[in-house]
Amino acid sequence: MKKHLFKGIFIENPIFVLLLGLCPVLAVTTSVENAIVMGLSVMFVLFFTNTIISIIKNIVPEQVRIPTYILIIATFVTIVELLLNAYTPIIYTTIGIYIPLIVVNCIVLGRAIGFASKEKVFNSLLDGLGFGIGFLIALIVLGGIREILGNNTITIIDNLSKLTNVEMIYQVLPKNNVFPMSVFRTPAGAFLSLGLLIGIINTIKINRRGNK
Amino acid sequence: MKMYYVDNGPHIKSSYNTSKMMVHLFIALLPIIIFSSYKNGFLPYFNGYGTIFAAFRPIILIIIGMLTSLSSEALFYYFVLKKKDKQELFSALRYSFAIFPGLFLALIIPVNTPFSILIVGCVFATIIGKMLFGGFGYNIFNPALIGALFIYSTYYSNIISNGGYLNKMEIDTIAHATPLTNLKSLNYINSYSNIVSSFGDLWDFFLGFIPGTMGETSVLLCLLGFMYLLITKVIKWRIPTIYIITVFVLTAFIGYYNNLGLWYPLFHIFSGGLMFGAIFMATDPVTSPTTSFGQVIYALCLGLLTVVFRFLTIYPEGVLTAILTLNMFVFIIDKIGATVRFNFKRGLISILVLLAAISIITLYIANTIGRTDEVDDKKFNIINIIYEDNKTIYTVTHKAYHGLIEAEVIINNDINEVIEINIIEQKEDVWSQIENNNYLTAIIDNQKKLDDLDTISGATFTSNSLKELVRKVLADYNKKR
Repeated sequence: MKKHLFKGIFIENPIFVLLLGLCPVLAVTTSVENAIVMGLSVMFVLFFTNTIISIIKNIVPEQVRIPTYILIIATFVTIVELLLNAYTPIIYTTIGIYIPLIVVNCIVLGRAIGFASKEKVFNSLLDGLGFGIGFLIALIVLGGIREILGNNTITIIDNLSKLTNVEMIYQVLPKNNVFPMSVFRTPAGAFLSLGLLIGIINTIKINRRGNK
Repeated sequence: MKMYYVDNGPHIKSSYNTSKMMVHLFIALLPIIIFSSYKNGFLPYFNGYGTIFAAFRPIILIIIGMLTSLSSEALFYYFVLKKKDKQELFSALRYSFAIFPGLFLALIIPVNTPFSILIVGCVFATIIGKMLFGGFGYNIFNPALIGALFIYSTYYSNIISNGGYLNKMEIDTIAHATPLTNLKSLNYINSYSNIVSSFGDLWDFFLGFIPGTMGETSVLLCLLGFMYLLITKVIKWRIPTIYIITVFVLTAFIGYYNNLGLWYPLFHIFSGGLMFGAIFMATDPVTSPTTSFGQVIYALCLGLLTVVFRFLTIYPEGVLTAILTLNMFVFIIDKIGATVRFNFKRGLISILVLLAAISIITLYIANTIGRTDEVDDKKFNIINIIYEDNKTIYTVTHKAYHGLIEAEVIINNDINEVIEINIIEQKEDVWSQIENNNYLTAIIDNQKKLDDLDTISGATFTSNSLKELVRKVLADYNKKR
């Protein structure tokens, strides 16, 4: 049972191992704050859609399975979108295009059709939670690397989002010639950092398997 | 009883191998290294510009480049590939020719690059451009060009703020730009005096006493290196000859179509990194085609792409991106070239398609350049000008990403400079980025050299519209003064 929870975080991490749904990942990881918001939205959607789809899996006829699932996912994505638009409008203008794309994100649809439509409710709940946490962790790592290298800051809560009045923006290194590297703020740097990160993780995995 | 040593053939080997090839390449580069350290370092010092430390800067940059790439490769072999045995490490390094990415990279960057940026670029070029693909012989892209692309795209503003392309003597005596940036700002078609004479005459271009990056200005020494490599039969001679002839022919056509003389194509092949890139970078033994027909196709495509990138895009220099783009297609080109003897039709079709593409694109370029002023004027509109004692207030609109930006630009009459920009109306969705980066203040600070000011990544169109707005207001103000 615990296996379903931890599977999505390490062994089958959706971004670093399964390489699913990379389009929003590369676009929103320009700062840690955007990455956290996107990760929490996807976790919210995954958690609830997996549970509900697993509850109703025996009632839905075979022919209308996929439209029904997409309808359920779209409901929750709309909830997320309305909440973001209301409470954090600045973040909504930056990453707002990628929120409706969660409906057809491969992770959400893949877990719904591949796992939640076949397994028990509690297992699907844990599975959705695990994949959501794995997605969030991967986004935070990638966003952290891209923002530290590309902007020389770590932005956890920016004052502009007006949700809280706290501002947590940390400068990493003093001003110098090497950092910030502006290529990491562009899509080219996104691909570069994601590729190198996947390479490092695969090397660690192969070394550990070789040692055993 | 005598023991005979039995072995497989070949039993007689020539003494010629890859190491000798690289030694010849280094010898061919020596005049360029010496000239670049003289022209960028000692010549300004002997004429009174700069300190003795600045005189040694080019030679120090080259040495740092070579040492960084050598040591980063050694560290990669030691830590990542686990070659901890000293003998194994030295033999791997001997056949890996690690100094060449760093040496070439140091020769194609501006002389005022900070040392830390060169070190980062060399590490990037060696490890990501060469070692991650598998080492010497396995890389797809020219590693020096990968490093140069990284440095230009990441640190361009840092280099410009440290001095840019021009050394201290050139800043005082010549114009504020390299010949190709000047050409782009004049909209590609202009007179001899505007394009060439501000840097000297064509003989100065040939000898190499014009602004540019460190090693690529001197055409004479590049040609001498080419002769040496031809004599020692090291270079793939088809690539530089066809490349340079293609660029000459295409720019000659564009020049004659717009009534410019023979100096125009000569200017194009003498300026920028064309000679150096064609002779030393495009003929890199690992990343260029091996079949002779493939080399012909490669060089034709390179010529076409260089002309396209120089005339149709916002980048003034086309050689770097052209070579990197074609490095991706070397596999297909070699496949065509290896089977052209059996599959003659495929080779013929590829050559005909290439020639047709070249003609169509050249006709298009010759027709459309130099005539963009009319379209440009429709984007900009002056609504109102208020003249006061010490300042002029312009109310203007300019086309932006979503609709128009309406702004009020205040110019101080005493110093003839913009002192304030107030935005009345805008509908951009990335405006928060403009505000966060204080871009309006940056435009006011850099108003005399707006070409060098970087746009904000993620808001390029809006940044360009703001720059164009201020540029046209200043042009109108200076016209009426």
